[in-house]
Amino acid sequence: MESYNYDKWGEAVPSQAGYIAEKAVTGDELGVGSLNTPSDIFYDSADELFYIADTGNNRIIAVDSDFSRAVKIYDNLDLKSPMGVFVSDYIYIADSENSRVLVTDKNGGIVTEITKPDSELYDSQKTFIPQKVIADKAGNIYVVLNNITSGAAVFDSDGNFTGFYGADSVKNTAGVMADYISDMLISDEKRARRSRNIPTGITNFDIDGDFIFTCTSSRTDSVKKLNPAGDNIFSGKELTIGDYTPMYDTSQNRLMSSEIVDIDIAEDGCINCLDRTAGRIFQYDEECNLLFITGGTGSQTGNFRQVSAVESANNAIYVTDSMKNNITIFRQTDFGEIVHKAVDLYNGGYYEESLEPFQEVLRRDGNYRYAYKGVASAFLREGDYSSSMKYAKLADDRSTYNKAFEGYRREFIRSNGGYIFSAIILLVSAIAFFRKYRRKK
Amino acid sequence: MNQLQWLKYAVTHLSDGFEEMRWKKSGSMKIAWILLTLLFFSRIAQERLYGFQFRESYDKTFSVIPCIISSFVIFFAWVTANNAVSTFLDGEGSTKNIFIYSSYALVPYIAQSLINTVLSHFLIKDEYVFMQVIEITGVIWSVILIFSAVKAVHQYTFMRTIASVLLTIVAMFIMLFLLILFMALVQQLYMFISTIYTELLYRIRG
Repeated sequence: MESYNYDKWGEAVPSQAGYIAEKAVTGDELGVGSLNTPSDIFYDSADELFYIADTGNNRIIAVDSDFSRAVKIYDNLDLKSPMGVFVSDYIYIADSENSRVLVTDKNGGIVTEITKPDSELYDSQKTFIPQKVIADKAGNIYVVLNNITSGAAVFDSDGNFTGFYGADSVKNTAGVMADYISDMLISDEKRARRSRNIPTGITNFDIDGDFIFTCTSSRTDSVKKLNPAGDNIFSGKELTIGDYTPMYDTSQNRLMSSEIVDIDIAEDGCINCLDRTAGRIFQYDEECNLLFITGGTGSQTGNFRQVSAVESANNAIYVTDSMKNNITIFRQTDFGEIVHKAVDLYNGGYYEESLEPFQEVLRRDGNYRYAYKGVASAFLREGDYSSSMKYAKLADDRSTYNKAFEGYRREFIRSNGGYIFSAIILLVSAIAFFRKYRRKK
Repeated sequence: MNQLQWLKYAVTHLSDGFEEMRWKKSGSMKIAWILLTLLFFSRIAQERLYGFQFRESYDKTFSVIPCIISSFVIFFAWVTANNAVSTFLDGEGSTKNIFIYSSYALVPYIAQSLINTVLSHFLIKDEYVFMQVIEITGVIWSVILIFSAVKAVHQYTFMRTIASVLLTIVAMFIMLFLLILFMALVQQLYMFISTIYTELLYRIRG
């Protein structure tokens, strides 16, 4: 499998793999019969169990942490196409075709059943088809609904509807303005045929502490980090999630622009984004710098036909494929381990300590842009300005270069200031003398 | 005064420098060409030799064509267009004089970009404002000089100079438009001929 990363010009270059596919597990290997379009996977770190939403078979399966066997099967809950599962103290199931969210305890006893809210805030003409569900520490339940663009529906721990959260908004771009003006001029029939300017709904989300990470299928702002107030923390970053330039697939005659269908926050804060079009997992650090690109489309292990969900646990990544009906397990490589160690230290502010692992990263992969940035920052912190400048140049990191250059200039003037000063005085007096001499002549 | 001193005189005397030059029938084609070459090099310097903290260029490839266009082509277009406009605005200047005076007027602009290229290696981003001041000064200075050059070379009044400059810019756009049109046409013609040629080759061989 060819693994790649992006260089400072945003062009794909070969790179070391951060993860390699270890194995693909089918339902038969777990002893539960074959899976049918699994569409969600969740790791419960308290019990060390994986929960898989086996949508086509209308059940939830709990699997032990090394994927050797199924521990428990929840198939007596009258589920119909469960699309999402989330586990904390309870199990939360997005039971899509029954139009409900089910909260059960871990033995399968129903605690709460959330159905379509009877509230002024919720348009009664809209359907209630839960796709994904998460719950925060306070027990608030967030539900992603199909065809709802006003954000995730929020319910309190008793199941009462409290409102929507994290809605996308349509920005007033030139295109939207032009549509607004032409709206006043064109006929109703034309207007009806034109695509409407509505925000894209949330496709999927994950929770990490107080922050909820959402992904949408739109090209811009496809990944957002929302604080409890619903504000996007990544809004100023102009992120490009997924492949930079959409690849042209000649066999299918279409552009493969990325479409993020699932997002997962690892224990160390790394963000795994699952791209359905290319079947790839894009891993970012907590500051949204690209770390690794894993996977692809195909039929070998480690490639996918139709990815549906991603989960990470114990430095491994688990991806469900709803057409292959299996779960692929990616193990972290040595290279991946070093990168993660370096990035952890770097993002924790331990720049000097991150120097050693970053240099090791560069020894193994000279194309790895992030490492140049890390080394530049480490040297800058150590006060080795000229090395920092060299690496910042390689990383195309202008702000670090600027800081390093400032320090370099300060040191240069401090050590050579006397010479410079006397050279200037000498030059000025020489010119003055020369002029005087010429005038005399 | 020798030609270099005249250059200095014209650049430093904003309002009457070119007027004086005209009466003394001064100005050298050689210096004009040197200035134009310097303009070209300053474009390259801006692209390639800027300090890294200010440069935002794609280093992987470098094409000299944009530099040629933004120096030589634009300048020649200006001279031709101004000459053309002057014929129906009763201008007195010859093509040679327009060429010389216009290139003399570019001195502050060239100086500004060369100074900034050097300064960009000594300043940090916070001190960018110094470079901006130099840049704005150079540009404004050059614009005033161009204005006064047109005024002097054609012996225009103030209002007529403004009209001439504006019309020249319009004419430049028309010229560039026609140039692009012409190039597209030539390309299509070339494609046509080359297709016929290949076709013929196949017939003869086959």
